[in-house]
Amino acid sequence: MSTGHELNVVQRWMQAVITNPEGIVDGVASEAAQQEIALDPATIESFILPSKRCSSIERLSVYGNAYFARLIECLAGEFPTLEYALGEELFGDFALTYLQDYPSTSYTLGNLANHFVDFLVNSRPQQEEGEEPQWPDFLIDLSRIESIYSVVFDGPGEEKVELISAADLQQIPAEKWGGIRFNFSDSFRLEVFDFPVHEYVTAVRKEESPEVPSPQKTWLAISRRDFIVRRQSLSQLQFNLLKALLEGATLSESIEQSLNELTHEEAAGFDELAANLQDWFANWTAAGWFRSLNCD
Amino acid sequence: MVTPRLGHDNLGLGVGLRSTHYPYILDNEPDVDWFEIISENYMDSQGRPRYVLEQIVERYPIVMHGVSMSIGSSDPLDFDYLDKLKALAEVVDARWVSDHLCWTGVAGRNTHDLLPVPLDEPTLEHVIERIHIVQDVLQRRLILENPSTYITFAQSTMPEWEFLTRMAEETDCGLLLDVNNVYVSSVNHDFDPVEYVESVPHERIVQCHLAGHTNMGTYCIDTHDGKVIDPVWELYRLTHKRTGGISTLLEWDANIPPFQEVHAEVLKAKQHMSDQLTSTTTSEDASSIVSEKDDAPSHAIPQPVVFVGAEVE
Ligand SMILES: [Fe+2]
Repeated sequence: MSTGHELNVVQRWMQAVITNPEGIVDGVASEAAQQEIALDPATIESFILPSKRCSSIERLSVYGNAYFARLIECLAGEFPTLEYALGEELFGDFALTYLQDYPSTSYTLGNLANHFVDFLVNSRPQQEEGEEPQWPDFLIDLSRIESIYSVVFDGPGEEKVELISAADLQQIPAEKWGGIRFNFSDSFRLEVFDFPVHEYVTAVRKEESPEVPSPQKTWLAISRRDFIVRRQSLSQLQFNLLKALLEGATLSESIEQSLNELTHEEAAGFDELAANLQDWFANWTAAGWFRSLNCD
Repeated sequence: MVTPRLGHDNLGLGVGLRSTHYPYILDNEPDVDWFEIISENYMDSQGRPRYVLEQIVERYPIVMHGVSMSIGSSDPLDFDYLDKLKALAEVVDARWVSDHLCWTGVAGRNTHDLLPVPLDEPTLEHVIERIHIVQDVLQRRLILENPSTYITFAQSTMPEWEFLTRMAEETDCGLLLDVNNVYVSSVNHDFDPVEYVESVPHERIVQCHLAGHTNMGTYCIDTHDGKVIDPVWELYRLTHKRTGGISTLLEWDANIPPFQEVHAEVLKAKQHMSDQLTSTTTSEDASSIVSEKDDAPSHAIPQPVVFVGAEVE
């Protein structure tokens, strides 16, 4: 009786065979499999036995058919809106290529899509300078927002810590406001998109069959409260202000910086700010975006 | 002398915890005996899955069931993974921690499938050595399940039940007997499922799995997408008789119905426990059942598929 192949060789061979996107026959013939165990359709039964009713190739195909199908289903579970926008078939094509470029190396399926957004960005056809955002940009935006939703949903949150309240804000004397710095909640994210993808995602989840929206610069705050992901759209000024605060600037520094960075009239921005600043902070505090604050 | 169930409690009739059932379970506190969780879905969670689990732990016994230990792989064991597994087991006060006799990937990759090992002496030695290491890290016995398999290596030199028996006796680990997997594999490999169940060391069986599968005409796939079929219930009756009663769990992972329906399916086990053994399935019976019908959906995916989607306002 001949001794078998070493376990390591068996496993490298089988992994090469069942993860070949062209199927088992091509997998057996592939270089990766051949360099482990040199088999062909005529000799395969010397290594994988047939059953009474299935050939060796048919039996291996159960694993081969399952490998991509299972992982594509997981990606579809994480990117349901992207799948809706692309259609099941095209989404499957993207996912199939992605899984070949970035096979899982993690014990958890939670990391399966870690490179998916980058993959789509790198797959994007060349673009002219200054061109309007196109269909591929919409798809990339969708993948980004769904990826962020996943991370925020299962990442760190503040459900068990006390956040600052409106009363905490009111206790601060007016002259100290300019020197306030905010510590943001761990789940809080600021993101810019070329399309109103947040509305599109919500509409798809409600099964409203939305049309693809026109490009529209979209500033979002994404956070988690009571274990549910929340998103709120912002004006450019609000976004700039929060961004400066998030980077650690004081309130007065942030106000100045955010007005400077406006693409529209600075004066209009100043009016917007003066009229609303207090309301904004009351809402943002109620939304649970701030963990704590300190005054200079 | 080994005590029945290796001394573990018979927890009764449990259900695999799935995220679609979270709201129902939290609102209704159903009268289910215990829950089994997929370890990897909670190890890193800092969100709702972990929060829900913390509440369920308050009310029900929990058993941890993993899919990524890869005890049979020729790759090194992942100690980071094992540390996280141990930490979770402490937090949820896991009654025991199980995984499968399988490998999930090699060369640093994870196929997220439960792949079969050659059933030969070198592999047995390799698996035994790794179980010892895992048990040292976890500071508890490992419980290993027989997976559904679809191929046979020509170099295998023993039946799976013999591999499991020697593995368990050598390492003092426990067994999770999935009677649906025994059935599925018996169809796929033309063996007698009754001989299999009769031959495994009954006192080492700590837990049992029940599930539905998909009949593909010439073979079966372990899809966890439906009710338990009669030949599997017969194997369950035999297992119950031989073990004297063990913790029993129903796995339902695709086309998941409302919680009550899943629970009702596992409660059928009560009837089978009190039933006398009637006719038992042989491999001949199994093949006739397989050739009778062909209910295979073209998208049937063998378990495991365990992804938890985000909840957004
Ligand atoms: Fe199982």
